[in-house]
Amino acid sequence: MALIEVKGLAKVFQVDGQMVEALAGIDLAIEEGEIFGVIGLSGAGKSTFIRCLNRLETPSSGTVLVGGRDLSTLAREELRGFRRNMGMIFQSFNLLSSRTVAGNVAFSLEVAGKGRAAAKARVAELLEMVGLSDKAGAYPAQLSGGQKQRVGIARALALSPKILLCDEATSSLDPQTTSSILALIGDLKSRLGLTVVLITHEMKVITEICDRVAVLESGRLVETGRVIDVFSSPGHPTSKKFVESVHPSFDQLLRGSFRPKGRLVRIFYVGETVTEPLVYTLVKRFDVEPNILQAHLDVISNQTSGTLLIDLAGQSGAIDAALGFIRTSNVSFEVLN
Amino acid sequence: MILNSTQLAMLKVSSLQSLYMVSVSSLLTSLFGIPLGIMVVITRNGHILENKFLYRVLGFIINATRSIPFPIFIVFVIPLTRLVVGTAIGPTAVIVPLTLAAIVFMARLTETSLLEVPSGIIEAAQSIGASRWQIVWHVLLPEARPGLIMSVTITVITLISYSAMAGAVGGGGLGDLAIRYGYQRYQTDIMWVTVILLLLLVQGIQILGDRLVKKYSRR
Repeated sequence: MALIEVKGLAKVFQVDGQMVEALAGIDLAIEEGEIFGVIGLSGAGKSTFIRCLNRLETPSSGTVLVGGRDLSTLAREELRGFRRNMGMIFQSFNLLSSRTVAGNVAFSLEVAGKGRAAAKARVAELLEMVGLSDKAGAYPAQLSGGQKQRVGIARALALSPKILLCDEATSSLDPQTTSSILALIGDLKSRLGLTVVLITHEMKVITEICDRVAVLESGRLVETGRVIDVFSSPGHPTSKKFVESVHPSFDQLLRGSFRPKGRLVRIFYVGETVTEPLVYTLVKRFDVEPNILQAHLDVISNQTSGTLLIDLAGQSGAIDAALGFIRTSNVSFEVLN
Repeated sequence: MILNSTQLAMLKVSSLQSLYMVSVSSLLTSLFGIPLGIMVVITRNGHILENKFLYRVLGFIINATRSIPFPIFIVFVIPLTRLVVGTAIGPTAVIVPLTLAAIVFMARLTETSLLEVPSGIIEAAQSIGASRWQIVWHVLLPEARPGLIMSVTITVITLISYSAMAGAVGGGGLGDLAIRYGYQRYQTDIMWVTVILLLLLVQGIQILGDRLVKKYSRR
């Protein structure tokens, strides 16, 4: 059974007397040990969704099962205990400005009633884990964004939760810091056996560490699947836009002064599926001139993948033969014109 | 401008009366005003102890009390003062209206300070399973500490100013001395000395407050 099961989840807010539907009929299953990403534009309902997972937000209808327990059945005290199994980190870090780095991490332990001596050793261990041992006595205001998020991670993991919820955790960080925080989350996930649920509006975050992704639009899930599948063949216009946010859109390319000489072919391949150099073979075996317009190499869910856009010029017979050859090789492709 | 021994004795008594009224009422005001402010904040919509009814009732009491001018308020609460301290006259009696008026003032200032604590920090505390009491004690109060110190400073200074009206019910104090001798009996020197003493008192409290705020500001 999935670790987190969401069934028919809906949330309606009342804003100025008007009903606003933030989430509508969300069904999802998140497996233990995976990094699950939810992507959507602002206002899509991502924040509401992740807050329903630890009941910071109470769903209007539907159920959220975590480890088989229905969150809506938990009484206040039970819920408090339950939340200790789920750490959460935030876009704005939400650290206590009045406490030092060590004090912020110790806060989780104090809340759970851990003794001072035990807490001290644990805090040192946690700060070591996130690489902030030298900042134990600093106040949040003296830290950079990335360091603040590391404190947030240490605080969230202080009580050894099974699940880590990331609410736009890297959205206020620069690209380099984002990568280092994502790498830390990925590393901690494997070391501690965490299940990670993250929400983001950046496709880069999804491709960098997520195993699976759900695309949220106006409170509805429009696509769910393995990141690599959604990336290679997005099944919904919104998903497609997110993929194009990583690579410039091919349509955009055509809008410029560029005019193709032959057929525009977009090829997508994963890892070792390409054993023979495809473009080289095309030139050698068929009477075509492949012109490489765009080429990307990405690492998605720890797998190398490539995207290639070529303008295949030549006699129509030769082009057809070349396309036939591409069809037989182990790549997915699409003819754009 | 040399004061005679009688005037000096009067100044001494008045100063002590002022200090007594202001210090006792400041202490009581903080003791009740801050918790009242906390209640107003946490019973708000969407806060940790959301309660529409209580929020409105507290808000009404605070507004109603604040809308009465202080000299009228002193007279208005005389029955209560008699009930609490047994008399409606003298410095101790004045502490009752002083404290009551300042509590609601303090509550509003506390409310403003606490509302400045970002809601995300409260959410973070909830996400690690903090109780409502822990959120008030370990999150709201320490995070708002500089603002609360400033609020107490403002309240104490307001109390010094309010206590000058204590003469109306025989409360005495520096303000009363200034009015009765300095103004009504044309003893300008007394007026000057009391004004300078009050000025020093207010300045001292403001400097102390500012230092404490600086010490506890971490943002």
